[in-house]
Amino acid sequence: MTEPAPIVFVVDDDPSVRRAIKRLVESVGLHVELFGSATEFMNSSHPDVAGCLVTDIRLPGISGLEFQRQLAKANNEIPTIFITAHGDIPMTVRAMKAGAVEFLTKPFRDQDLLDAIHMALERDRARRKRQAETAMLRERLESLTPREREVLPLVVSGLPNKQVAVEIGTTEATVKVHRSQLMRKMGADSLPELVRIAEKIGISGSKR
Amino acid sequence: MISASVALPGSYDYGEVARSVLIAIAASYAALDLAGRVTAARGRVRLAWLSGGATAMGIGIWEMHFKGMMAFRLPVSVQYHWPTILAALLLAILASAVALYVTSRQKMGPVEALAGSVVMGAGMAGLHYLCMAAMRLPAMTLYSPLLVTCSILLAILFSLIALLMTFGLREETRWSVPRRLGSAFVMGGAVSAMHYTGMAAASFLPASPPNLSHAVNISPLANSGIAIVTLIVIVAAIVTSSVDRRANVEVQRINQELEHRVAERTSQLEAVNQALRGEIAERERAEEGVRRSEERLRLVIDTLPALVWSKLPDGSADFLNQRFREYTGLSVEEGLGWGWMRKAFHPEDRAEEEWRAAFAAGQPFEKEARMRRADAAYRWFLHRAVPLRDELGNVVKWYGTTTDIEERKRTEEALQEAQEKLARVTRTQAMGELAATIAHEVNQPLTAIITNGNFSLRQLEGAIPNLDELRAAITEIVNDGTRASAVILRIRGMLMKGVPRRTDLDINQTVQDVIVLLRNELSRNRVSLRMELPSDLPRVPGDPVQLQQVLINLIMNAVESMRTSTEGARELLIRSAKSIDGVLVQVHDSGPGIAPELADRVFEPFFTTKAEGIGMGLSISRSIIESHGGQFSLVPASRGALFQFTLPVSSGNAP
Repeated sequence: MTEPAPIVFVVDDDPSVRRAIKRLVESVGLHVELFGSATEFMNSSHPDVAGCLVTDIRLPGISGLEFQRQLAKANNEIPTIFITAHGDIPMTVRAMKAGAVEFLTKPFRDQDLLDAIHMALERDRARRKRQAETAMLRERLESLTPREREVLPLVVSGLPNKQVAVEIGTTEATVKVHRSQLMRKMGADSLPELVRIAEKIGISGSKR
Repeated sequence: MISASVALPGSYDYGEVARSVLIAIAASYAALDLAGRVTAARGRVRLAWLSGGATAMGIGIWEMHFKGMMAFRLPVSVQYHWPTILAALLLAILASAVALYVTSRQKMGPVEALAGSVVMGAGMAGLHYLCMAAMRLPAMTLYSPLLVTCSILLAILFSLIALLMTFGLREETRWSVPRRLGSAFVMGGAVSAMHYTGMAAASFLPASPPNLSHAVNISPLANSGIAIVTLIVIVAAIVTSSVDRRANVEVQRINQELEHRVAERTSQLEAVNQALRGEIAERERAEEGVRRSEERLRLVIDTLPALVWSKLPDGSADFLNQRFREYTGLSVEEGLGWGWMRKAFHPEDRAEEEWRAAFAAGQPFEKEARMRRADAAYRWFLHRAVPLRDELGNVVKWYGTTTDIEERKRTEEALQEAQEKLARVTRTQAMGELAATIAHEVNQPLTAIITNGNFSLRQLEGAIPNLDELRAAITEIVNDGTRASAVILRIRGMLMKGVPRRTDLDINQTVQDVIVLLRNELSRNRVSLRMELPSDLPRVPGDPVQLQQVLINLIMNAVESMRTSTEGARELLIRSAKSIDGVLVQVHDSGPGIAPELADRVFEPFFTTKAEGIGMGLSISRSIIESHGGQFSLVPASRGALFQFTLPVSSGNAP
């Protein structure tokens, strides 16, 4: 299965800088999209592919840091690389705390930018994979009957069938049926695998 | 008892009786008179009066008795045994002496009076009966014991009376003569009474003729002779006494007069003394007043909340008030002369020559100098001096105060420091913003250039370079390079951005305004400022704030350059003048100047000779002046740096 080509989004108010970056990044075979301001980026639609954001801090209108905040608010977890002509330490710290991948001062070394972009794209790919997996598991969870969903946390917490039956007020035989059904539905071949799947979708061993 | 018929009949010659009484009175008077004399006299004179008086009185008394016996007539011839008579006379004199002695003493108590009267009375009685015993006649004398006793008692009684009278009358008074006369009568009578009582006590019986040895017959002639002699003696005594008394009175009068005069003189002297005392008291009061006023003045001077002093015309101190001494801890001696400076001033402030010059100039002046407190801490003081002149205008004294201005000084320094800090912060901030602007504006094209450059290199390193892309990248590199240089130019222009203000201004006023701002800076760096600002300059259009910036920049550069050199006076000259089409301003310092090889570069942006400079000051200044249509230049000078700028009256090429 071939992945769709990732996109590097560049936001800088200086067209010359934008063009230079596009030329450089495209030369390593990546797809680049350019924006003159944060607003411009926010107002456009983007394909659902791996990507990263390279943005100047000093931007017309919304600043780079504010841009980062707004993205977080919109649940856009795109990895961000800051480039700035005059970054200071507090600014850098804020950006990194807010999840920036890298903070580069202009003029930067071309390799530094490309490395940062690769790292950001890798991170986004991983994130996307994780997200896709979780979504699939959640879908499977949705396919469980209410009774099966009730049994799942008890099984995950390691209770024997007998005890699970006592907990939900039914027979051991019934529990056995639920258990094999939900294992199948969740795509787990063994109990440990079921436990790992449950963790991924946020279901931990339930309290007794 | 013998019967009368047997006794010889006796009779009295009354003439003689009268004479005897008279003599008794005379003797009494003499006695009274003499007692006064004896009392008044002293020493030998007193003894003379006592003995003389006693003699005269004794003779008188004796003669009275003798006379009284003569007055008694018997039918037989009577002769007298003269030694007995003589003894009687002596007894009389002795008794008189006792009487006079007793009465002439200072005091006569009852004991003395009684004792005196007993002795005297006994004397009298003795005299009487001795005289009787001296009688030689053919008869036997018989005495009636009763009458004899009576006579003796009478004698004592009369003596007492006589003594008391004499004592009472011995002082000389106005009425002494009549009173003495009266008393003399009483005493004479009493003496006579005693005598005749004694006579009555005797009766004579006829007997054999007596032994007439040593007996004499007293003839009437002799009788009278004795009486006359007696009287003469008595009178002589009285006269003598009277003369003496007169003399005495005279002496007393003179004495009194003298005393009176002395008293008068004394009272005059007393009055004079009184006046003198009054005068003295008055003067003392006045002196006390002066002293108190001086005291008050001194107290005021000593307690004034300032250090007060006076100095001689040359500046050497002759008075330092208590606060001055207490503050500096100097004694009076230490502070006098020039000790106030040499011992109390901060070593750096001991500008004795300067002070001497100020005193010599004779004009009021004030100077600031630190003074050492007794605890060795130094504080800033303002010393003010005012001269006192004589009528010729010569300074006779300097008076002055020395006031603690430490707080003010500290406040000033703190203020100045705060201003400097603020200026520094403002400047730093401005620089920071400027730097940020420059960084951003220049970094953008640089970033593009470098990125494009890197891209180009990558293309060239690749197997098949994309020539179109390579051309595009290099074209962009050239464009961005051009753009970067344009950015620098734009920044310079941007520094003067904002709407330029143009008002017709007096450039001299602008200079003055700047000097007000920088005065502290100049004095702190000990720069002496000279200004030549002619008043006939035309007004020129300009932005006062921008022109102030230019002047501040030039002046601060001058101050900083002079601060680096330790040699030579730090002099700053600011001149303004008319130029061909406007005004000209020059700022000329006495610093090390600018090396000719650097002269072309000082206006370049970011060129600086200062360690912490960023090299924009002169560049910006030139831009400002040029935006006003003027010219900004460094003029070659023999000494220091000389910058000048011109401002045209009509700024046709203002942006």
